[in-house]
Amino acid sequence: MSIMKIENLQAKIGDKQILKGLNLELEPGKVHAIMGPNGAGKSTLSKALVGHYDIELLGGDITYKGESINEMEAEERALNGIFLSFQHPVEIPGVNNAYFLRTALNAKLKHEGKEELNAAEFLRLMKGHLEMLGMKSDMISRSLNEGFSGGEKKRNEILQMLILEPEVIILDEIDSGLDIDALRAVSEGINKMKDGKRSFLVITHYSRILDYIEPDYIHVLKDGKVIKTAGPELVPYLEEHGYDGIEEE
Amino acid sequence: MNLSTLKNKNLQELNALLDIKDRDILTERFVSLGLPSKKSEEYRYFDVEKLLDIEYKTLTYVPKTLQVSEKIEIVDGVVVAGPQGMRIYNEPCGQIDMDHFDPLYYLGHLLSPQAIKIELDGDVEVEIEHKFTQSDTLINYRIVLYNQANRHATVYENFVSEDIENSLVLYGYDMHIAQDSTLRVVKMQNMEKNQYSMVASHRVNVSKNASAILKSFDLGGDKALQLLKVDLAERAHVDAGHLLYLNANSKRGTVSQIVHNGEHSTSKQEAKNILDGDARGIFDALIRVQPSAKFTKAEQNSKAILLHEQAYMAAKPQLEIYIDELEASHGATTGQLDRKQLFYLQSRGISYVEARKILVIAFANTLIETVKDTRHQERIKASFEKVFYSGHTNR
Repeated sequence: MSIMKIENLQAKIGDKQILKGLNLELEPGKVHAIMGPNGAGKSTLSKALVGHYDIELLGGDITYKGESINEMEAEERALNGIFLSFQHPVEIPGVNNAYFLRTALNAKLKHEGKEELNAAEFLRLMKGHLEMLGMKSDMISRSLNEGFSGGEKKRNEILQMLILEPEVIILDEIDSGLDIDALRAVSEGINKMKDGKRSFLVITHYSRILDYIEPDYIHVLKDGKVIKTAGPELVPYLEEHGYDGIEEE
Repeated sequence: MNLSTLKNKNLQELNALLDIKDRDILTERFVSLGLPSKKSEEYRYFDVEKLLDIEYKTLTYVPKTLQVSEKIEIVDGVVVAGPQGMRIYNEPCGQIDMDHFDPLYYLGHLLSPQAIKIELDGDVEVEIEHKFTQSDTLINYRIVLYNQANRHATVYENFVSEDIENSLVLYGYDMHIAQDSTLRVVKMQNMEKNQYSMVASHRVNVSKNASAILKSFDLGGDKALQLLKVDLAERAHVDAGHLLYLNANSKRGTVSQIVHNGEHSTSKQEAKNILDGDARGIFDALIRVQPSAKFTKAEQNSKAILLHEQAYMAAKPQLEIYIDELEASHGATTGQLDRKQLFYLQSRGISYVEARKILVIAFANTLIETVKDTRHQERIKASFEKVFYSGHTNR
């Protein structure tokens, strides 16, 4: 039984149709990697899954835990456990990072009928995560992503993931712009979240991160469709031959 | 008194109407500028005529013995309390700017021959509280602020009012900032329920090597305009920041002229405007660089966020430059909240309404956090959030 099922998904951005009948099932506890050439629709897929305003669905269905989420607002999807780590996290001057994180966490706790955390409880929760990710403690008192380096932004995305504990985690090019130390730290954060129940959708151009995260499935996305699904043994083949030799199954 | 009766009057007629003597220079200046109307450039967006064309009660200004208080308290234009030892007294304002652009600056002086003079000794920090208790009344007064050379003083200015309605407050400062000193003035004004309208006409004279730091936080509704003229001497500096959060059908804002007279003088002026409902925000600001002000640096910027389709921002940043040797920039933007930022917050489970509020408060905080004193910074933040949460339409 899949946690998320994408059937015949068709979507456009502006006047251009990008997704052209995409099918994909995410299994609980598994790491699914999406690879594909530029313009294949990888980021469009991630946006469609979280209800981004750029996306207009033309057809098909996205079901999460058995229910269609096509009409669900972005914040509802998040509250229900769908998380996107953005390729380019936006900077928000004036919004304190810790305040933002606590607001997001408390919104989720409230949604789940749990007691919200006060500032002290929240800071205790943060401390361990910051150390693991190699983040300086002052990063949580700065404005959200403002002036962060590329690596710091990605670590901050992973910090949010660790705190919000989502069930479906979409990582859109989490490895882009990371040096080897940052890649290790980010991968460690991701691996820490593996609990046999959560699903990961790792969108990447490069196989490097897959050395650290170890995918269960590789899906090749081309021209708005998943054209091949295989095990991790597909990665070296793609490294050697590229996407041109892959034909739709 | 109906101030519109002063329209198109000559010197003799005005002297007779206002019962004034020996102040012909001021009266002539007022006559030459004329009573403001909707055709006056500086009042173009403010509907001043409606405020002037009302029959107001007038007050008799009787100086009072000062009570000792932690703050300076001015009630209906009369100073009633102040910190022990601080020199506060009533006296004619000796140094009136004869080149001010605002006719109501001169009218204010004509109506208030005795100004409240406050001498800020040393590195003092003082709060001035303006209190208004009279309905349907013209409340006019002028304040003169002096500080000492090579000292750094701070004034926190607040406004309170009793349950009044339809009064007009004409007040303003003449600030004389001494050489090598800093004067920091932080104004917080929350207006609501048409208790009073205000025209505040200020003149700030910044001496050689001195700094004026002027921060205004204007919140809520109603009608108020601050008109600011700043003169900068050699190596003088002004840092002016204006936060405007308006709701309902209010009209408020800043009209300013910053005049660089001295070499190496610097100015930075930043306006952040958040407009909800049918509000109109005003930022009509001129920086003039005189031929004598070589190597000036001037920076001016206005940003406005419109939270409602009926909200309107009149932003008019202007540079008037008479030399080549300077660095100057100005700009204005008006728009909605950033959609990418909104979505980012929503994608973390924060509701659309809450995300909007977070972004608006963040926009305001970037200016509020320029107030160095943490206690006052928190006070302003709290006031802003209170007004914003109660007045925001959630549309």
